[in-house]
Amino acid sequence: MTPLIELKHVYRHFEVNRQRLPVLQDINLSIAANEIVCLVGESGCGKTTTGKILAGLLGPSSGEVLIEGRPRASYTGREAALLRRALQIVHQDPFASINPAHTIGQILGFPLQRHGMVRSRAELRRRIWELLTLVDLTPPGDIVNKFPHQLSGGQRQRVSIARVLTVNPRLIVADEAVSMVDVSIRIGILKMLHRLREQLNLSIVFITHDLALAKYFAWDGRIAVMYLGRIVEIGRTPDVIAHPAHPYTRALLAAVPEADPELTRHKQHLELRSEDIPRLTEIPPGCAFHPRCPFFVPGVCDTRVPPLEPPPDYNQLAACIPLVETGRLIPYTERVNPDGR
Amino acid sequence: MPNDVVVSVRDLSVSYLARRGRVRAVNRASFDLHAGETLALIGESGCGKSTLNLALIRQLPKNATIDSGSILYTRRDKSVVDVLKLNKAELRRFLWSEFAMVFQGALNSLNPVIRVSDMVYDTAAAHGLNKAAAEKRALHLFEKVRLDPYRVFRAYPHELSGGMRQRVLLAMSLLLQPQVVIMDEPTTAVDILTQRSILDVLQTLREELNFSVIFISHDLAVAAEIADTIATMYAGDIVEVGPVNEVFYRPRHAYTLALLNAAPRLSAGAEELYSIPGSPPDLIHPPPGCKFHPRCTFATEVCRTVLPPLVAAEAGHQVACHHTDDVVTAYRKVSRA
Amino acid sequence: MSVKSTVPPAASPVRQMRYLKPFRQRVGEALSSYTARVLLQGLFTVFAVMTFTFFLVRLMPGNPVDIKIDQLMQTQGLTYEQARSQAAGLFDMDLNAPVGQQYLTYVQRVLRGDLGKSILSAGTPVADIIWRFLPWTLFSVGLGLLVSFALGVLIGAAMAYWRGGILDNVMTAVASILYSIPEYIIALLIILVAGVQLQLFQVGELRGGFNPDVAPGFTLEFIGSILKHATLPVITYVLATIGGWILAMKSSTISTLGEDYITVAKARGLSERRVLTAYVGRNALLPLVTRLSVSIGLVVGGSVIVEELFQYPGLGRQLLRAINGRDYTVMQGIFLIIAISVVASTIIADLMLGWLDPRVRVGQKATKG
Ligand SMILES: Nc1ncnc2c1ncn2[C@@H]1O[C@H](COP(=O)(O)OP(=O)(O)OP(=O)(O)O)[C@@H](O)[C@H]1O
Ligand SMILES: Nc1ncnc2c1ncn2[C@@H]1O[C@H](COP(=O)(O)OP(=O)(O)OP(=O)(O)O)[C@@H](O)[C@H]1O
Ligand SMILES: [Mg+2]
Ligand SMILES: [Mg+2]
Repeated sequence: MTPLIELKHVYRHFEVNRQRLPVLQDINLSIAANEIVCLVGESGCGKTTTGKILAGLLGPSSGEVLIEGRPRASYTGREAALLRRALQIVHQDPFASINPAHTIGQILGFPLQRHGMVRSRAELRRRIWELLTLVDLTPPGDIVNKFPHQLSGGQRQRVSIARVLTVNPRLIVADEAVSMVDVSIRIGILKMLHRLREQLNLSIVFITHDLALAKYFAWDGRIAVMYLGRIVEIGRTPDVIAHPAHPYTRALLAAVPEADPELTRHKQHLELRSEDIPRLTEIPPGCAFHPRCPFFVPGVCDTRVPPLEPPPDYNQLAACIPLVETGRLIPYTERVNPDGR
Repeated sequence: MPNDVVVSVRDLSVSYLARRGRVRAVNRASFDLHAGETLALIGESGCGKSTLNLALIRQLPKNATIDSGSILYTRRDKSVVDVLKLNKAELRRFLWSEFAMVFQGALNSLNPVIRVSDMVYDTAAAHGLNKAAAEKRALHLFEKVRLDPYRVFRAYPHELSGGMRQRVLLAMSLLLQPQVVIMDEPTTAVDILTQRSILDVLQTLREELNFSVIFISHDLAVAAEIADTIATMYAGDIVEVGPVNEVFYRPRHAYTLALLNAAPRLSAGAEELYSIPGSPPDLIHPPPGCKFHPRCTFATEVCRTVLPPLVAAEAGHQVACHHTDDVVTAYRKVSRA
Repeated sequence: MSVKSTVPPAASPVRQMRYLKPFRQRVGEALSSYTARVLLQGLFTVFAVMTFTFFLVRLMPGNPVDIKIDQLMQTQGLTYEQARSQAAGLFDMDLNAPVGQQYLTYVQRVLRGDLGKSILSAGTPVADIIWRFLPWTLFSVGLGLLVSFALGVLIGAAMAYWRGGILDNVMTAVASILYSIPEYIIALLIILVAGVQLQLFQVGELRGGFNPDVAPGFTLEFIGSILKHATLPVITYVLATIGGWILAMKSSTISTLGEDYITVAKARGLSERRVLTAYVGRNALLPLVTRLSVSIGLVVGGSVIVEELFQYPGLGRQLLRAINGRDYTVMQGIFLIIAISVVASTIIADLMLGWLDPRVRVGQKATKG
């Protein structure tokens, strides 16, 4: 089946102070219809940039974006307009994306009218009611005439999701969509997104830096782990979480505290060789993680850029040459100092 | 626990005067902090965690008032200080040497126009510590928090990354060897690996220097790892206080239970989570009775009218809930499923 | 646990070196490159203004040289050639040389400090005129700005500190009103209300930079006279600009007071004085320093009408006279001076900002790790 959207060898760079920032390098990612894909990684690794490219808010510097098998550029005229509506993004801060001077009814009404999605006032009203019910803002009558500042953070985020739904999208990129929402309310929004995915046959790209949340949300989808502009590991969520392959994924998972006192206190952490995150202007050669990697193999990791390949005995893809070639990882300290001295 | 209580808070109430009315941000909060103990204060945004702690060090904004209560602090020499009765000069000397704080949002806690060293000297000068001794101690602490001490000491804040700044603040809070350090969400806006190194550093420092910590967080996982005692706050009330294992494995307040049921766990495989219905209450017009009742699945008539007091359920485990027993049984059921 | 047991042995000299050297070096380099950049930018601006005024006077259709030639031909019945050579003399230009050549000569002269001769008072070098009148303007405008900045900053900071108090409420109103009145109206009001209505001073007496009956010299009387004559223009400048400073400082201080590092500084037990100076004051001043440079430029330009109204012998009044009399060489010279003063104040402000704010100095590079 052709995927809904596919990135092929996508690179993206920005020019900052006459310096070239390679923000994304060789991103290959395909998202099937009705699929959930989670992008995780530390701040600045390029999650939002990837999300924007998927949603069509940014173009790639090089590489291809295919939509249902056709290059994005081949969509023109009316098709392009439909495409723009089909791919939507929900931001972290609802305040940045909804106009505080308009009522919720207006916020939802404008896109409906602008895109000619409704023919009469009655239909407009019905559709707004429907959308508010869809995002669990009930009873809608209490909400439509309120202003954004009269809603709680969670409710505002629901409004911004409802607004995205006005144009009947196929893909929603949720960029840290619940990071600013309280823990107690997050789960409700995530469950709603799950339900919307099924009801409306949506694909969801969920961007977060919270691994536990990623695991919960994308349990029947896939996770892609990014580091310094590259995907270093990608696979089905249970595989990646239970048997992380790439050293970076292992370090991340080992570092996350658990909401269980005994478990979290006895968790084995993976000591990195360095805590410095390299700047994008000085990305290390070979595997970008090698200066920090506890399983660093000199002469291999610092010279060859690892491709995403399936390591033996793993179900996912990982960009780690020693693991893919030998099937195991030996700590750097043992390698340089085999007697443990 | 033995009676080595360092901070004893009783019936502390704080309110803000806002345009819409009086915001009751902390209501009759009572708790004890023991020597060497780490107390984690958890609860959702706006429940009054920061307010409670700003009241402890008397750095509340101008529109806030402390309506009632007492804060007693026991020095190392066992003399007791009534923090609310200190005058300006006494308070100035008291802060940081006995009671230090690492604030929410470390990125903004350092004066951008002066060097880290100047901030160290300023602090030292304010407490009559000489420059050389302060420098020596600061360099030592920077090394302890895994920073390059000399570079960081001479640096301006903007030359440091977020994680480095957070560790600088941690080190600075220990400059005068306080007995208590308040940490307001010190790992919130940082990356996982940075958070890990801060938690590890904090752990080592605590083992070595043996200070007490009040740790504010809305991340249950971080609290589970770092805390000896957990205090849950809801809408300005402390609703449950107990040893970490007690609270996590035998929660007795419906709200704590709800929080635990909403927290995803990495190691748990496919799991069912439950969100808390509704949204946090308005602190200007809080609901009558137990403030959690409109969102609570256990709520009965009594919850709607009678505010449950904080009472001891077991040794060291206090809870303010009308349905403690139901909550315990419910948790057992869920966790076994 | 005691301090002694936890303190490491004294730092070895090797480690000391390790942090001293590269750090000094780095900041030194950054600082010098920053300074160099600021100076270079300034030089370029002055040069651009110089070029601009030259071409304005010489090349534009209907430019002053051509007008003068026409004028000479009509009024004195000269032939074109005669008129042209006379104009060339007046403007001190070789009109027969190619434009590029003329421009080079002009630049060379300016660099030597020769700004040509006045057309109105034939023969007087423009540089002399400028040297004679510039000090008065610099003195009055500079003093006005200094007083206004210092007072405005103090008042604004105090208003923010005691926010909502009487001082705050009264001064916010006053400052907003002052801010919206142009300076020539203030000057007129002073003359009308204080001079004519209330008879606080004799308007006529205060003409000029000092009382001509007092012999110039380093005497108390003479200095007193200078101050007395400068009073009205200075008051005007202060009133015209202080509103802006007050409002800017107030809002800047309020936002600084809300910063976390202020709360942290207080929690560290620092004295109120230290917090207010090194933490609040210094940070709150930053945005104002940038404004300072802009306003210096504006005030020099704005002195034109004020000096005319008070009959103050400054450059502004001279500019007005040059404009009225179509004295292009003088105008050219004064524009150049104004440009230089704006550029100079920008440079001073930039360097001051660099000195106050390390982030500007080193650029936005943060070391990660
Ligand atoms: N328009 C832009 N111009 C210049 N640099 C940019 C631009 N957008 C992003 N960047 C840089 O690209 C890098 C990746 O940015 P991106 O926002 O994709 O990261 P992210 O993974 O979403 O991080 P975060 O978790 O902090 O949101 C960052 O270093 C960022 O500074
Ligand atoms: N200066 C203020 N004026 C008026 N109300 C305030 C002020 N500061 C806080 N509040 C209110 O007091 C309540 C408690 O705020 P507080 O900052 O203590 O919450 P918190 O638990 O620390 O939340 P968070 O987790 O978001 O930091 C909130 O409802 C907040 O809106
Ligand atoms: Mg992002
Ligand atoms: Mg807070």
